[in-house]
Amino acid sequence: MPHDFEPKIVAFVCTWCTYAGADLAGTSRMLYPSNVRVVKFPCTGRIDPVFILKAFQKGADGILVSGCHPGDCHYMAGNFHARRRFAVFRKLLEFIGVDLNRLEFSWVSAAEGGKWVEIITQMTEKIRAMGPLTQFTDLADEEQWSGALGNPELKAVYDQV
Amino acid sequence: MNKSSEKTKSTVTIDTSGYEVATQEIRSEAKRLLTEKIVDAVVGYQGGRRGGSAVPVVITDPDQAEKLVFSAACVNNLSIYLTKAKKEIRAKGKLAVVAKGCDLRALAGLMGESQFKREEVVIIGVTCAGVHRAGTQPGQPLTDSTIAKKCRECSVHIPEGSDLIVGKLPPLPNLSPTEKELMEKLDAMTPALRWEFWKEQFTRCIRCLACRQVCPFCYCEQCLCDRGRPQAVDTSPRPSGNMGWHIVRAMHLAGRCAGCAECERVCPMDIPLNLLNRKMAEELKELYHYEAGLKPVEKGPLTSYDEKDDQSFIK
Repeated sequence: MPHDFEPKIVAFVCTWCTYAGADLAGTSRMLYPSNVRVVKFPCTGRIDPVFILKAFQKGADGILVSGCHPGDCHYMAGNFHARRRFAVFRKLLEFIGVDLNRLEFSWVSAAEGGKWVEIITQMTEKIRAMGPLTQFTDLADEEQWSGALGNPELKAVYDQV
Repeated sequence: MNKSSEKTKSTVTIDTSGYEVATQEIRSEAKRLLTEKIVDAVVGYQGGRRGGSAVPVVITDPDQAEKLVFSAACVNNLSIYLTKAKKEIRAKGKLAVVAKGCDLRALAGLMGESQFKREEVVIIGVTCAGVHRAGTQPGQPLTDSTIAKKCRECSVHIPEGSDLIVGKLPPLPNLSPTEKELMEKLDAMTPALRWEFWKEQFTRCIRCLACRQVCPFCYCEQCLCDRGRPQAVDTSPRPSGNMGWHIVRAMHLAGRCAGCAECERVCPMDIPLNLLNRKMAEELKELYHYEAGLKPVEKGPLTSYDEKDDQSFIK
């Protein structure tokens, strides 16, 4: 069944758990949307917020960051550090004005092929309903500031700065 | 562009007579430290070429101590001169530094990051009633229209923990916290509107990177944002790369920024950069009960963890 819009979803995954989990889903012949592009990292602790930013700028509609469950990290504490970093990064993106529904986090272990399928399916459906993310890609097409302030509320705040 | 100068309300002048006392005390202390060879150099402020202005200076000769001043024009955060990146200053030997309360928080942060040890530095703390905001003509009195935004809600007038505290604190007027008010307005907006706000702000950015150069915590020898291969952030001053740069900057300073607001002061395009730092600080306080710069700690909130951290946002 064709859709009007096929979202591009980038999944940043750790090689020890989620990548193996996705692999399990594949070898078990489970079906999940092909919208997801999996990028493998040694650990969630290696995933820099810059990667997320770059993926959005390059046209990703949704991003998933996934790794080992707390306590299962191959490097002992990588996912604990990642958890804090992303908790803060989410808040920053929210403050900048990015819809957090487009950025998801999950723990998927090497045995959870089913969970991987579930997460990817749900996320694809959600992002498809939301439509494409144009915030960042539009910005790339824009030149310098035009000086136009359309919104009165914004104008008031702007003058206050 | 900046309308705040036009808003002339009843002006409240802040008594800065304590700065004269501070100047004298800084001079005599610097002289003593240098003659007794307790330190090899003193990082302080001297009068600038335009009357009433002040610029940072490093003195090594006790006779030069007379050059040192403290006034409302002493806006710079001198802690930046103590980082390992400032090799030529570090090479002089043991240092003394003149620090306001806000600068002291940055010093504590730098100590936590092993930029220097407490016993290597003599801190001359200055009791500070406030300094000028960016763009104030030198020699102006310190009033509620010329005072820096950060000073309006300062909680560190007296730099506790310095080796010596100079100057005295005048009675302070109650100033409205303009930054806090702005923050509340932004928080109340919808994300889409906030995006518009930041887009307006960031597209003005000319990527002079003054915010990076002036930041005591941006001491990396090579910045991620200068790298070409792989390129993390577009280096040309265009909206997309600017947005990237400011997000990366806020993220790299999260949990470290001491809130001296130097980035905002030096910004030639008047981008309210400290709002981002402030937001990060607020979030870290809420999430991990951490406040930067209160005391030197080895592990910041983003270089440590707790197994019981909140993970309600993770599936």
